[in-house]
Amino acid sequence: MTAVGLGAPRSDAEAKVRGLAMYGVDYREAGMLHARLLRSPVAAGRIIRLEVTEARRSPGVHAVVTAAEAPRHRNGLVLLDTPFFADDMVLYEGEPIAMVVADTSRQAEAAVETIVVEIEELEPVSDVAEALAPGARLLHPDLDSYRVIPGTGPWPKGGNCGGVLTSDPGGVDEAFETADIIVEDVYTVPRQYQAYLEPKSATASYDGWRWTLDVSHQFPYKARSRVAQALGVTDSRIRVVGHHIGGGFGARLDLGLEQFAAIGASLTGRTVQLVNDRVEDLVSCMSRENATIRVRSGVTRQGRIVARDFECLMDSGAYAGDTPYLTSIALLMAGSVYRVGPTRVTAKSVYTNTAPSGAFRGVSGTYLCFALERHTDRLAQAIGMDRREFRMRNLFEPGDSMLNGQTLEDAEILREAFERVEERAPWREAGKGPLRGVGLAAVIWLTNPLAGSATLGIQEDGSLGVSTAATENGSGAVTMGLRQIAAAEFGLGAEQVFVTSPDTDTQSYDAGSQGSRTTHVVGMAIKAAATQLKPRLFNIASGLLGALPDDLELGGGNVRVRDDPSRTVSLSEVARTALGVGGPLSSTGTYSVPLPKWDPDSAQGLLFPVFPVPTYHVHLAEVEVDPDEGSVRVTRYVVVQEVGRMINPDGVYGQIQGGVAQGMGYALWEGLESRDGRYTRRTLESYGLPLAVDIPDVEIIVLEHPCEAGPFGAKGVAEPPIVPVAAAIANAVSDATGADITTLPIDPEELLVALEKRQEG
Amino acid sequence: MTQTLTCEVNGILRTVEVDGDEALLDTLRDRLYLAGTKRGCDEGECGACTVLVDGTPVHSCIFPALAAGGAEVRTVEGLAGPGGKLNSLQQAFVDRAAVQCGFCTPGFLMTLTALLEANPSPSDHQVDEAMAGNICRCTGYSAIRAAVRSLVREDGA
Repeated sequence: MTAVGLGAPRSDAEAKVRGLAMYGVDYREAGMLHARLLRSPVAAGRIIRLEVTEARRSPGVHAVVTAAEAPRHRNGLVLLDTPFFADDMVLYEGEPIAMVVADTSRQAEAAVETIVVEIEELEPVSDVAEALAPGARLLHPDLDSYRVIPGTGPWPKGGNCGGVLTSDPGGVDEAFETADIIVEDVYTVPRQYQAYLEPKSATASYDGWRWTLDVSHQFPYKARSRVAQALGVTDSRIRVVGHHIGGGFGARLDLGLEQFAAIGASLTGRTVQLVNDRVEDLVSCMSRENATIRVRSGVTRQGRIVARDFECLMDSGAYAGDTPYLTSIALLMAGSVYRVGPTRVTAKSVYTNTAPSGAFRGVSGTYLCFALERHTDRLAQAIGMDRREFRMRNLFEPGDSMLNGQTLEDAEILREAFERVEERAPWREAGKGPLRGVGLAAVIWLTNPLAGSATLGIQEDGSLGVSTAATENGSGAVTMGLRQIAAAEFGLGAEQVFVTSPDTDTQSYDAGSQGSRTTHVVGMAIKAAATQLKPRLFNIASGLLGALPDDLELGGGNVRVRDDPSRTVSLSEVARTALGVGGPLSSTGTYSVPLPKWDPDSAQGLLFPVFPVPTYHVHLAEVEVDPDEGSVRVTRYVVVQEVGRMINPDGVYGQIQGGVAQGMGYALWEGLESRDGRYTRRTLESYGLPLAVDIPDVEIIVLEHPCEAGPFGAKGVAEPPIVPVAAAIANAVSDATGADITTLPIDPEELLVALEKRQEG
Repeated sequence: MTQTLTCEVNGILRTVEVDGDEALLDTLRDRLYLAGTKRGCDEGECGACTVLVDGTPVHSCIFPALAAGGAEVRTVEGLAGPGGKLNSLQQAFVDRAAVQCGFCTPGFLMTLTALLEANPSPSDHQVDEAMAGNICRCTGYSAIRAAVRSLVREDGA
């Protein structure tokens, strides 16, 4: 029996239900100091006075750190635009200005209160429209002089734009002339806070040469390189040790507090811990960016989309973060799923005086899908065609290409997914009745291709150890998926496999839990390691069994002769024998996904050029709208998702249910809006996270088309279930009420107005 | 100014010096080293810090430590049975994949322990209502409901 395809429990579940799992915030060392940041109280201004003398003399204080004590160069994920501490200018509310390190966090907090900071306030550049207006104040007047990370070529930027993607294949205007009807829509979405339940923290120590960071981070190797970059030292002087992660959803992929803890440790010679309180965590978090999307399409009366113009303005906040990458997703989605004819795309990463935005599960895909699928409904309605029929007419066929020139040979899975939705929830019956509606949305999504590695060791007791810097962010990719893949390779049960936690000193590179990559990429690395290890294992067993290596197989914790299963030797005996015959049974495998072909001339500024190992998704939502409150209840939610092959059904279903819940939050309740550079909702209570009463059990249908270059056929699973949710729900709510729905979260007031209008009509 | 707090925590009588304005969560985590109870928001919203005081679920981040004087306090570390065996609710969380990142899990376990002690056969809706003070960002709640349901079926048969 193989461990793949079974709902084996995750190996960290027991520690978690006992309350014994140690997260980043739980890490303790004897004599550890505690730090607290002074953050900017205003969104924009010039620091004219910073007085820390009293703080330095406060009880228990070991150090006060400001820009004067910190490295002066700028750092960044892709564009090096971010100072260590604000120096001279502050660019967003919550920007770190100083840090106090003290014996206790209360002492640190009290000392922070004594710091005198005078800021000459400036009118904040509070949104993308202001930032792009002629004569707008530049947030980064020296933008042209900023360096970029090694390995990234130059890309178009300038003014208040940290990155600009443009694509004009030619023939767009001519194609518009063949349209019968042209529809133009504008959509706006606010930020979405990841709202992981464990606040961000970092603990650092220093030995005179190297720093050790104890963290809950999704990407320890990125934490290592970013701390090194911020401190101005080489990567290998940083060691990152990963602990349990209390949720991340993308927010723990870049620097959080690590660089501050590190400088505190080297200045005091003591271990220093820094933890966000919830309000500062929310206010300073790199949330999913707010955006404005303009889409104009030409359509014929026969129901063909013939031309498109697409523009997306993404608010990166005060520093660019990953947003210059995310502009590429606009190109990858504006002409995917449906054939749309020649398409012009512009996407900009725009600086404003708000907290830097960043990665959140599904990144820009969530709002791009919302805009595109709302627009698809509007196109169908403009020509009086059924919304599903219109989708079927324009649906991608195998061999169709996305706007980056990437060809999708397996795009027939999209049609299959629509058909499976139809079987489960027939379109002509779904969402019928007063105040009810139904919506569809589809997306093509990627599996992140970045490199990973794993070291396997057959232990002397016959169990299997998997050592990898891959992180278990909660999805189960490590504690279920990787264990089961390793178990299946060696004919073991998942319970006979243990996985280590990450440590950059002892494990080679891994690109972290992002873009559903762990099971796929690290699973392939495990397969590569197993392929190296098995010949030695069989050779040693061959000597013990007196049989040819080729005649041996693995199963039940033993090596056995294939044609005579009574002749077996335990893995334990083989492992012990190996110690005297060449050394322990251990090997390391590495993998990165080969990128599909694309057309490098398809766009300028294309930093994230392809969707490797694409997966296909169709969602259907049924909703009911309360006529008095305008509130929306999702009465039924169906997901058809293609996964390659399920390694653990509990893992797959759990990721889909959880991703849909986050998407429902985005569609209906959540959102960080800012006024004059200040978020209006600043606590978890006011933010509006979904509760159990809000979230139905999702109906999940999994399609399996095993991927040739995947571990047992597995592709990425966990990220995409969030992507189409706001789109499907918005389409259903529009169907129920007649409201246009061009903004998120869906506004109950707007629904009441639409219902009234419909009644009058 | 510290004061002396005496209470029973997971069946053990504890006496500890606490600050006058200290929250029970700080006492549990920083003085008694019971770090299973989590600090998620410090504003009584997320429920990760839920513990039982005389059987009633409270958000320990906003519950004054001194108010627990003489009370019986139960935390996640006190759930397992003799010999460390997981209790049926903990086991159901493991078996039904109700745990993802796990940071909210101790709080949910305490809330649901109180629910099931008061009502061994709650409906789905009653379960959802009971969980109104606990946020889970990972699971979308379905597997947690399923875990409770699995116990109701067994006990209610």
